[in-house]
Amino acid sequence: MSVHGMTERTLNVPDLQRRQLFNRGMEVIAWLAALIAIAILVVVVYSVGRRGWTELNFNLLTKAPIPFSFTNAPQGLSNAFAGTLVIVAIATAMALPVGILVAIYLNEFAPPAIRNGVGMALDVLAGVPAIVIGIFVYGLLVAGGGGQSGLKGSFALGILMLPFVARTTIEVLALVPNSLREASLGLGVPQWRTTLSIVLPRAIGGILTGTVLAVARVAGETAPLLFTSSLVGAKTSWNPLHALQTVPVAIFELSESPDPKDHARAWAAAFVLLLFILFASLTARWLATRSARKIAGR
Amino acid sequence: MPRLGTSIRFTGACAVALATAATMVSAAGAKRTTTLNGAGSSLIAPAVAVWAPAYAKASGTEINYSAVGSGAGIAAITAKTVDFGASDAPLTDSQASACADCVQIPWALSATVPTYNVPGLHSGQLKLDGPTLAKIFLGQIKTWDDPAIKKLNPGTSLPNLAITTVHRSDGSGDTYAFTDYLSHVSAQWASQVGNSTSVSWPGGVGGAKNAGVAAVIASTPGSIGYISVAYVVQNHLDWARMKNAAGNYVLASAPDIEAAAQVVKSVPADNKLSIVDPPASPKYKNAWPLSTFTYVIVHTSSAQAPALRKFIFWALTPKAQHMISNSFLVFAPIPKVVLVAAEKTLTKVH
Amino acid sequence: MASLDVTEPARRPFSGRRVHLGDLLLQGLAGAAAAGATALVLLIAWKVVDGAHPSISKFGLGFIVHDVWNPVSGREAYGAASFLFGTVITSFFALLLATPLAIGIALFLTELAPRVVRGPVTALVETLAAVPSVVIGLWGILVLGPALRGNIESWLHSGLGWIPLFGAPSAAGASIFTAIVVLAIMILPIVSSISRELFLGVPHELKEGALALGTTRWEMVRGVMFPYARGGIAAALILGLGRAMGEAIAVTQVIGGGTVISWNLFNQGDTLASKIAAEYQGATSNLEVASLIYLGLILLVLSLIANSVAQLIVRRVARTHGVTRGGRG
Repeated sequence: MSVHGMTERTLNVPDLQRRQLFNRGMEVIAWLAALIAIAILVVVVYSVGRRGWTELNFNLLTKAPIPFSFTNAPQGLSNAFAGTLVIVAIATAMALPVGILVAIYLNEFAPPAIRNGVGMALDVLAGVPAIVIGIFVYGLLVAGGGGQSGLKGSFALGILMLPFVARTTIEVLALVPNSLREASLGLGVPQWRTTLSIVLPRAIGGILTGTVLAVARVAGETAPLLFTSSLVGAKTSWNPLHALQTVPVAIFELSESPDPKDHARAWAAAFVLLLFILFASLTARWLATRSARKIAGR
Repeated sequence: MPRLGTSIRFTGACAVALATAATMVSAAGAKRTTTLNGAGSSLIAPAVAVWAPAYAKASGTEINYSAVGSGAGIAAITAKTVDFGASDAPLTDSQASACADCVQIPWALSATVPTYNVPGLHSGQLKLDGPTLAKIFLGQIKTWDDPAIKKLNPGTSLPNLAITTVHRSDGSGDTYAFTDYLSHVSAQWASQVGNSTSVSWPGGVGGAKNAGVAAVIASTPGSIGYISVAYVVQNHLDWARMKNAAGNYVLASAPDIEAAAQVVKSVPADNKLSIVDPPASPKYKNAWPLSTFTYVIVHTSSAQAPALRKFIFWALTPKAQHMISNSFLVFAPIPKVVLVAAEKTLTKVH
Repeated sequence: MASLDVTEPARRPFSGRRVHLGDLLLQGLAGAAAAGATALVLLIAWKVVDGAHPSISKFGLGFIVHDVWNPVSGREAYGAASFLFGTVITSFFALLLATPLAIGIALFLTELAPRVVRGPVTALVETLAAVPSVVIGLWGILVLGPALRGNIESWLHSGLGWIPLFGAPSAAGASIFTAIVVLAIMILPIVSSISRELFLGVPHELKEGALALGTTRWEMVRGVMFPYARGGIAAALILGLGRAMGEAIAVTQVIGGGTVISWNLFNQGDTLASKIAAEYQGATSNLEVASLIYLGLILLVLSLIANSVAQLIVRRVARTHGVTRGGRG
């Protein structure tokens, strides 16, 4: 790696003061840029946190919304929280097994050509914007008489989760040392059992980490749900065969309302959503360090 | 076989528990009562919000309504994603052929209102007429103290503030009524922009649904837009007086809307009604020129047809219509000739 | 027993072993999953092209440069130019705004910040990355928009009004400018996290070598760290660009749904993604639906190009630096 033409300049002492001044100047600029960026970050996080915190109350989770309420009757977003729980849970149930199977195939069975091809397909899938996924699932499942439902929303979110789960699983499977596989096969254990009982358990920590991170990501996704699960009423339902309200879609709708009470509920819901995502990310990080320690420890 | 690690067993147990819980809960949540799902017009949404609990008490059927805009309502009922669609705009020819066995039934009467936010002006103070309104939305009148506006408002001090027009960014029945009116009063609007639930606006800010437009107007000084009257009242926004064809400046009150509906002499077979810009006759001297009927759109035969028929019939009864013609919601009573046509169309639904 | 190739995970049962039913089942199932994932990508591409087909056959490629969107029946005409312009302008300027800040933060965290501060600031960046786009949009509507239009837009206009970008400020909080700031805030964490990891990955010997030769800190950064991390940062920027182009929800919340192309950033506008989000549910006719999907197709192509370029750069950089991924070269 070449150090661009420095040697000549370095030994020129009268130049030193100018260079040190310039260095100081660049340091100041870097500090400034960083401080501006940090200020922005603090403002955003603080804004959301403070408004969300002050508007938080139990009604949010326990009461359903009352459309066009002319009184100050307590209302909340219970339908949205119920819907998000159901839809994200089902999406995870869809994406996780498929993601693990894809990873197993790519890491344990596939010849290099297929590995590259499918890997590329996964990368492409990860780059598709969420709104295009929404159009896709709408055209595939909802249009032409299909109707909206929580399941179809889960399917869309599952597509978003799949490349993520698959990629992280591939990486942790690759970390499992070959010596383990060879020892197991050498003892006469069939390959399928080797994979499922020897290799996979070693990777489970990383798989869980990846899954939790994927959940954190799709919990806040709005665009695909607009196409698949947005024609909803105010009633709280847990039935995924119907369209269910979800927290991101609820926040989206409330954000465009003129009523300050709606804004208050939007902030509170955003706060809860953000807390959930942060909690999931922290859990993922804890799982990752725990499994790394276990692998290193053994 | 080596023992599965604790983590795997724990994960597996969680998954099984989750699946069981989900199945049990969804089985428990399975309908024991009938539910009718509807979507569409945000103009009728406050009315449906009043009707739904009353109808649930009267019949046990739940109404689930999603105010996504008239355009989305038409699309939803065409795609059969809902049981009934609601739209202030009647179906266009291509929409009617796409929604083959659909009927549209006028079930309420209300209006859209030019709404403004001008510092120094209070509600009902601003007077406008059709051609001026058209010029404002065409971008030809750019400030509030333009001579054209001053001429209509002698004695009112108007600020030198830029006009920001606000329109609906989604497919909207209010847009249909508004552009219908503007097409009537301005030949340039009719040729340049036209009349539809969604048009190519010559500039201005877009808001999503009535709520979104209300939010933009409330937060933008110097703005003017068009909103269903119920939202204007609910959000305490300032509405304009419009000069109708008879020459009077009127407000969008229930009696004035009812007067506008008197233009309907007979109802065509497809129930397509337009009551904007009533002619200059003493009979319509108090008519509000941006009134509009709003329709419920259903398929004539579907699994929910009997329940739909009962609901719409109930909505057309004097009792239900009375519930929504109050000072908050500003729906006007439907004229007899339209009511008869509505009920006749309803018999097709079974 | 046949010998194994010890550098690869065992792929096939070695010769002489029975093929277990379980092996076939697992391989079949896993293979089906992989085939399914690949098929999914192709299916998405096909469905989007198929859905856009009525519009493609009616308007052809001219759609891309035609600036019109008229859904009035009888005079329907659609074109993507206005939204393509919006996408390009918002993404480009968001990237322009975010890049110096992101690299600044990355440098700060790796070189300048006292150790105590590094943890909290990194956590702050990660927290921002975790905020969903709809929440940033909520913040944009209720906090950023009013703040920008009140002070910053008029200040920029009075100072830089001679540039057509900073024309007359808007009275509404929603504008292209607000969308640019929102997008910049959204891509800031991505670019800065990747840059930070790249800077951390610069080999110590190179940095210390330069410093030992007597370079100033800045000269070391400019001469060693930037060239080393250049490829990765380029990839990060393009990833950020792809993210900004594809963002629909936060943008539609704050961009104001404008229909007229204008260079004035304070006007309202629309992007490919935000137009789809705003109009799709209520599209008046099949042709409008197909045209909206055509917008989605253009967006998909742009995103794929951005991601492919980023991948190419990453692969080239990995080769140059001799990085080997776990298990496979």
